[in-house]
Amino acid sequence: MDLFLHLCVMIFIYIIFAMSLNLEVGYTGLFNFGHVAFFGIGAYTSALLTLQRVPFELSLLIALAMAGLWGFFISIPSLKLRGDYFGIVTLGFGEIIRMVFQNEVWLTKGPMGLPGIPKPVLFTYQFGTLPQYLLLTFGFAAITFLILRIILRSPFGRVLKAIREDEVAAETLGKNVFFFRIKSFVIGSLFAGLAGTLWGHYTTFISPGDFTLLETILVLLIVVLGGKGTQWGPVLGAFVLIFFQESLRFLRLPAEWTRYLAPLQQMIFGGLLIVLMIFRPEGLLKEKGRVSNAGN
Amino acid sequence: MDFLFQSILNGILAGCIYALFAMGLTLIYGVLNFVNFAHGELIMWGAYFLYFLMGKPFRLPLPIALIPALLLTIILGIGMDRFVFKPLRTANRLTLLIAALGLSFLLRNGAQLLWGAELRTYGFEIKRGLRILGISITLNQVAIILTSIFCIVFVYLLFHRSRLGKSMRAVSDNLELARVVGIDSKHTIQFAWVIASVLAGVGGILLALDTNLQPGMGLINLVKAFAATLLGGVGNIWGALLGGIIIGLAENLGVLVISPGYKDAIAFGIMVLLLLIRPSVLLGRLE
Repeated sequence: MDLFLHLCVMIFIYIIFAMSLNLEVGYTGLFNFGHVAFFGIGAYTSALLTLQRVPFELSLLIALAMAGLWGFFISIPSLKLRGDYFGIVTLGFGEIIRMVFQNEVWLTKGPMGLPGIPKPVLFTYQFGTLPQYLLLTFGFAAITFLILRIILRSPFGRVLKAIREDEVAAETLGKNVFFFRIKSFVIGSLFAGLAGTLWGHYTTFISPGDFTLLETILVLLIVVLGGKGTQWGPVLGAFVLIFFQESLRFLRLPAEWTRYLAPLQQMIFGGLLIVLMIFRPEGLLKEKGRVSNAGN
Repeated sequence: MDFLFQSILNGILAGCIYALFAMGLTLIYGVLNFVNFAHGELIMWGAYFLYFLMGKPFRLPLPIALIPALLLTIILGIGMDRFVFKPLRTANRLTLLIAALGLSFLLRNGAQLLWGAELRTYGFEIKRGLRILGISITLNQVAIILTSIFCIVFVYLLFHRSRLGKSMRAVSDNLELARVVGIDSKHTIQFAWVIASVLAGVGGILLALDTNLQPGMGLINLVKAFAATLLGGVGNIWGALLGGIIIGLAENLGVLVISPGYKDAIAFGIMVLLLLIRPSVLLGRLE
């Protein structure tokens, strides 16, 4: 039973993480290959603050703000250029931020990590047990889903799609493509920060090794497997992939296998991305009403 | 003062290697018009191929192992193109880049599966360097500089003096037009992969000689190669050389001022600064 609840908590956290990436990759056509950075910033910020006895409500808000702010800083230099550049800058940023977690020992304790992150208390109610935490993550996932739904159905969301399909056309209609992209990226980073925060308080221990390229690949795979540019795609993708990933962890496999198992599993993720892109780039759920294959 | 000269020498040394990476990256970018996110893995696998051939059961000496190692790297490069990028030639850019990222991850973990995540070296003893004017330089390092210079000159001659090089430049300039005048673009693309793979393989081997091997070395060197490419201007071979050396110098001089833990971050910092300061210039050259 605990295993099932644990699975559900992880799935809801990754749904938030994947939906935030979907806003950028799926709807706006931004090549964010370092999404883990914002997940990590959220996790570390909130963990450090709550360890200093700052109330959870406040640390959550600050964590979101930090993730959004860094998203803003990164997007300014790189979003003016074409997609490849943005991809490589975000990819690099994902690596650099881990270096910061590792090297700023005075703040993050470096490779030792941060143990004993307290369980969140929202308005004097403590989410201590597994079912309670499930409730919390479900709540946040539902809120995120609804907020993104409202955003994407608004004129703002339609402009994002227009930019994805044809940047020049959007520009001609008087939309400032640069600012729309930045907004999309900042919102995405913010929700990635939320996912990171929830994850950090759930595992109660974070270290730089938790925020590697693997997380970026996993969340990207969730988005493209489920169906990028759809609201339910990341939800479906998270169910399938997190189930696969987490249940491997609970198979009682001999210790000497794990040396091979981890890279093998990651090879499958990488290979799956390639196969999907070649044979079914739209994923399991196809975006409705999309005719063009452009989207640069 | 000696310390400063030593850092400059080390910087130039690293810079020559980065230049090899950057040249390969910019070559594929020029011909196929996308950043090959798996270029770092060509570098890494090149180094590991040599490690494989020098270890049990082959135990080949380095000069002999070099040729089959580079051949294997070429096969990997051509294989990448054949099985991943070729089917996606007409796909949109996002699809292509996600596939490239997946490929990079696949290859990185493939190396980890075979050789583990730990640091490895080719197992040469560390020799005391020759001392010239108070700077220490090992024979390995002399070989690194000579090899890089040889490769750079070779690529230059290839591009500017040979038919194949000219057709490669033509395809890079304008694929359609190159086709119209009867250049075999398929052949040219394949040749570009061969050159890029050799440069990546040689660079990876030199880097591993100077430092060590690790499955994660690909990604960070991709970022460095890209930063060098940006600095020098995409498609410009001398630019790639210059960019590489600037990155190498900045890294080795930078650690005199900031924590060595951030050595690998310096290239990234330069890249972001560059994008902030001169985006228009870059855009003009690249688009």
